Amino acid sequence: MKMSLFRINRALVPRFLPKSSPLSTSLSPENEEYNTTPQYPPILDLSREKMLERKKEAIYDEIKSVKTVEEKQIKLNMPRYYGFRSYMVSEDEIYYNDLSFIQHITRTHIIKNKGLPDYYNTIETDNIAEIRNGIEEALLMELDAFQKFHDLKNAELSDGDKENIITNNVVQQINKVLTNNLVQKYPHLFSNEVDTNPRLETAWYVGGINPPEIVKKSRRGSELAKKYENDPVDRLLYYTGSPSLTVRSELPLPLLLTPSEAENSSFDVPSFSYDPRVFGVGIEHRYMANIPGFWPGDSNSFGIISYLKKGHLLKRSQRIKDEEDNKNALDRQAVLSSYAWLHAQANFLGFTTFNDITYPLVTQTVMTNGKEFNFFIYQLNTILLHSKHIKENPKRNICWSSESFKLYEEVKDGKIVGLNDETLSILVKLYSNTPSERLGVNLRPYLGQKEKIIADYQDDEKREWLEREYKFLVSNRPRFQEMPQIYSYEKIYKIDHETRQMDKRRRFFELGIKPQDRKLNDRLGRYIPRAHRPDLPRHKGKLAKEYWP
Amino acid sequence: MSTRWYPIYQKGGPQLRVFLPNFWMKLIKPPHEQPPNIVQFACSMEMTKYDIKNYLEKIYNVDVVHVRTRIGLGKTKRDPGLGYVVKADDTKYAYVTLPKDQEFKFPDLFPKVSTVEEDYEKTIKQTKDGFKDYLDKNKERPGMPGWFTV
Repeated sequence: MKMSLFRINRALVPRFLPKSSPLSTSLSPENEEYNTTPQYPPILDLSREKMLERKKEAIYDEIKSVKTVEEKQIKLNMPRYYGFRSYMVSEDEIYYNDLSFIQHITRTHIIKNKGLPDYYNTIETDNIAEIRNGIEEALLMELDAFQKFHDLKNAELSDGDKENIITNNVVQQINKVLTNNLVQKYPHLFSNEVDTNPRLETAWYVGGINPPEIVKKSRRGSELAKKYENDPVDRLLYYTGSPSLTVRSELPLPLLLTPSEAENSSFDVPSFSYDPRVFGVGIEHRYMANIPGFWPGDSNSFGIISYLKKGHLLKRSQRIKDEEDNKNALDRQAVLSSYAWLHAQANFLGFTTFNDITYPLVTQTVMTNGKEFNFFIYQLNTILLHSKHIKENPKRNICWSSESFKLYEEVKDGKIVGLNDETLSILVKLYSNTPSERLGVNLRPYLGQKEKIIADYQDDEKREWLEREYKFLVSNRPRFQEMPQIYSYEKIYKIDHETRQMDKRRRFFELGIKPQDRKLNDRLGRYIPRAHRPDLPRHKGKLAKEYWP
Repeated sequence: MSTRWYPIYQKGGPQLRVFLPNFWMKLIKPPHEQPPNIVQFACSMEMTKYDIKNYLEKIYNVDVVHVRTRIGLGKTKRDPGLGYVVKADDTKYAYVTLPKDQEFKFPDLFPKVSTVEEDYEKTIKQTKDGFKDYLDKNKERPGMPGWFTV
């Protein structure tokens, strides 16, 4: 019998070949199959950069289309099981001459010593006299009576710690007095929420920074990547801080500049292209956590005022004897803290470091040691700073930085001497600045219509699973099994020099496994004990269902 | 500070000895890009940050704002003959920050000079050009020996 290579026994592969029946042809109307005008797919640029860009854009769009806040945060973390390599910047560790670096990573233009924006001149401050008495009384109690006998007795406290304790107490009293006195005239203060020493953390990508030497080396080694050797590499910045006190409200503060005004190129932002490690910035593995000091779903999700401590600057000024730099340190701390707080809030409104905010956010920052006050007004216009956007994004964030004001001169014989009305009136203005509705602006455009947070989900199991995962990511607890490490003896005797050929190759690096590239969902679901399973065959239903976004 | 032992006095030996300190600092060309006001040194392992600051300020009158140090692991290599692994000593590196208006640029110690290879290529090119000239000149008179034309 003649054999043909192309003959297939139909009985053996019934599933793969379509059964052809010559008599039945599907007939469709002509206008459905044909168009009068030809429709072509879009013409795409097939260069390497554009292809990569499109691939990334697709991922960012995926993040954008996730419905709830918590799921979005989990989605951001999907690429890394053990967290991302993050450059840690903190509120109280201020490096020498790092203002330009901070301006670069927050894309902030600082308007210095020109007072507060003009908008604040329109706010009236009439009943200062009443407030004056209240403030005097509160200050006396905090500074002269209470402090002397209680918290400051501890001998181990440094000067900075003592200053921070005083600041915390004074700030709480000022907030109390101002709110109580102004609430009748400004009812928005009634529903505001106050957090003391909240945990403030946020993570965001920044581009425009030179590649590390190790990346350059690997690029040099490849013929394709050689010409991109010096192309900048994105870095993940991670901010940790804790303001003394923050005030939040239901509605955002009114704008100081329109979005188009914020694109003015005369608002220059310095560019800083060195690796942040040149200052001593450390690297840690962290999940991309965005924590503005409250949980998602809080009704008061727009920050109004935050008070910052500056006790750490005492020690800095002893170490660094450069007066100008010590003054810049104030700006640096305020800019970074304001940006971080607004960025974390923006994340709770459904924006991420990859999906820019659609409307500006404003916050007011007060930096104080209980006596001297610096005021900062910050308008966040953009959070899109990664890869090419650091160069191409026309929007800039603006920070108005005031000069230093004294609240009082001194405490003498149980009395406050020289209470400064100007400082007080600015504080009153900050509280009188009434949040208002943004007409015609959808405040949460990238969140679902019905479900904006996971608490809106009806499915109990799904909701509980998502809550557990989300809270793990923001808790900054280590994994039960930490990332496997290469021991020194392995690096020397197995990797660098192959001296142990007879050892069994069982370690991860001998099997080609990269633990740092493990994905968040690269794991098994929770085990369900047999007693808790429904009546199923023995091998089924062992693992709980997972709900990765 | 010196870690040398003071030798036991022997008759005829000097009554007083002065030992130089162990401290030394060596300027290094930074392998990674750094702002112009940051200078990198290799220094002796015993030096602390305060020692480094004092060393630069007191001996060389350099204004120091901030010092960071790290200890770099020495490289390992295999003995070419017997194959055992040997390790170089660890090094302490210091990153010294100068005031922001001062800068330091590591000098170009070995400016590029023409190498032997380049010289050789130049000579070859000259010879080739000369021969081409000769051929062009004698295009019209094939077979004429080279010595004929003066």
